[in-house]
Amino acid sequence: MTLSLVLSLLALALVRGTPILLAALGGVLSERAGIVNIALEGEMTAGAFAAALLSYFTRDPWIGAIGGVAVGAAVGFALGFAATRWRVDQIVAGMGINLICTGGAAFGLIYVFNQAGVTPQVPAINQALWPMVVLGIALAAALQWAIARTPIGLRLRACGENPHAARAAGIDPLAVRLYASAIAGGLAGLGGVFLALGELNLYSDGMIAGRGFIALAAVIFGRWTPIGAAGVALIFGLLEALQFALQGNIAWLPSDFLQALPYIAALLALLGASGRYRPPAAEGKPYP
Amino acid sequence: MNRESAKALAIGTLGVAAAMSLAMVASHVSPIVGFNAFFYGAFGGKQEIAETLASTTALLFPALGIAIAFRAGLFNIGAEGQLLIGGLLAGWIGTRIDVPPAIAIAAIFLAGAIGGALWGAIAGWLKAARDANEVISTLMLNFIAASLALYLVTGPLRAPDAAGPELSLLPHAYWLPTLLSHTRATIALPIALLAAFALRYVLDSTWFGYRLRAAGEAPEAARRAGISLPRVALWAMAWSGALAGMGGAALVAGELHRFNTQLSPGYGFIAIAVALVGGLEPLTICIAALAFGALESGGLALQAAAAVPKDAIHVIEGLLVFALAARRYLGARGAGAR
Repeated sequence: MTLSLVLSLLALALVRGTPILLAALGGVLSERAGIVNIALEGEMTAGAFAAALLSYFTRDPWIGAIGGVAVGAAVGFALGFAATRWRVDQIVAGMGINLICTGGAAFGLIYVFNQAGVTPQVPAINQALWPMVVLGIALAAALQWAIARTPIGLRLRACGENPHAARAAGIDPLAVRLYASAIAGGLAGLGGVFLALGELNLYSDGMIAGRGFIALAAVIFGRWTPIGAAGVALIFGLLEALQFALQGNIAWLPSDFLQALPYIAALLALLGASGRYRPPAAEGKPYP
Repeated sequence: MNRESAKALAIGTLGVAAAMSLAMVASHVSPIVGFNAFFYGAFGGKQEIAETLASTTALLFPALGIAIAFRAGLFNIGAEGQLLIGGLLAGWIGTRIDVPPAIAIAAIFLAGAIGGALWGAIAGWLKAARDANEVISTLMLNFIAASLALYLVTGPLRAPDAAGPELSLLPHAYWLPTLLSHTRATIALPIALLAAFALRYVLDSTWFGYRLRAAGEAPEAARRAGISLPRVALWAMAWSGALAGMGGAALVAGELHRFNTQLSPGYGFIAIAVALVGGLEPLTICIAALAFGALESGGLALQAAAAVPKDAIHVIEGLLVFALAARRYLGARGAGAR
């Protein structure tokens, strides 16, 4: 294998890994604040669809990008609001949000564009692909520092570990959880924007293809730390890239096995790393 | 049914009706015309009722399976993969045996149950032996099941007579008898209902069901009382997968009459919503499955008759699940909330 081949493989890994990375950072943020985020998939879908829609109508991809992030954040806000004010079962609510977002995008496609499956081509920000990759990695480092070393990070963790103690210390756990969930939605929405306007120039049904759930796996494998989750997300990206690189090059390996490579690797990783995952203590538990 | 659930149900129904009207108006369809098309599509005649019952059956098996896992405190989101592997084994067995039809149909369902159980047991074993998070493992197993099935039907098991990637057709004698002639409603529905009653008995009245519920509701207390949590996890996931796999067998023997990779348009995922709306109780899950089955077939009719995209139905199902999550708040503001 030549050096240029290795480099192009790594480049592809970064591009495939970044949307997962962005959503996983959102997942870390909301789960450290105590909100289980099973809705990352729906938030990515909403972000990607809104970005393509706005870019189509305004002909300005940057408005699309900002709109995608905003819509993702709105979905995250809805989850956070239901979780804090209505004290819903967060996993059930997250499943509901996923159904609403994927169904809503499919409905919107037909309603707005009068065609099923895919939007027309829209103005994209393909030139911003690499800046977004760098932004994702920088965000991971910044969040790692912020969560571990800053007063705001301490407050966030307090709400996820022991909201009653946080309350006693003068923190409002409901507000912290609400805002963490909204920001998480925005990050997942940015992951959707990356796919719809960064890599491609359209939205199509099923384009998120389980990446929100993979991001959730990255959060858990990364032990709820931004750097850990980002690393796992990029490993998923590398496995996806490897699958492209190996496709057709190894005759005895069926291509369907290559397609399953990232998932088989994750399953094997589960085998190897038993019992080392401890979620935030108050995660998923309504407060007060 | 207590007052709280009755109130939540009423609010839910009104919410669904309102959301559907909104979707119709947004699609420039009068709600009167729209609801007429919807109800006709779901219950309007023999064919329509049969379609509703077929969707009900397809959702009921995996939803019952999901309820087993959830009651044991295991978030099994792998019903889709378990259904697929069950259907694969069922479709394979069905083309390999030569026995009287009744025995063949029993063997097909058994094969489906075994396939699903094995696939579910992988996640159960990972949980039991390595304390692996079942959300990740069942999710990954969904992707792996899809790849494995595709590999097998395009490669080693591909039917010589098949046009696409699929297994051979089952012998006509092994097709499930229909409840209503010339429709998709088959005896799989009474089998699913029987399974629901059996499950209710097992959960409520047997030692296994007791251990399962204890592990789900108070794991620490269950462990101290000598219940082996790993063992419960393994068996709960195996039984959960078995029911989903029987759903796959029902689809193979009742509808497609062969296995192909397009067996399920996401029944395993919508079944999660069905199980939750049914409150994880087998008999209420039957009612929830009927409601979702009617939404599915009525939604298709709505799309055909009134050009309201079928996907609106998934938004409505999502709203239903979301409202359900908030039922404590909607049903009884503050009072008696957990």
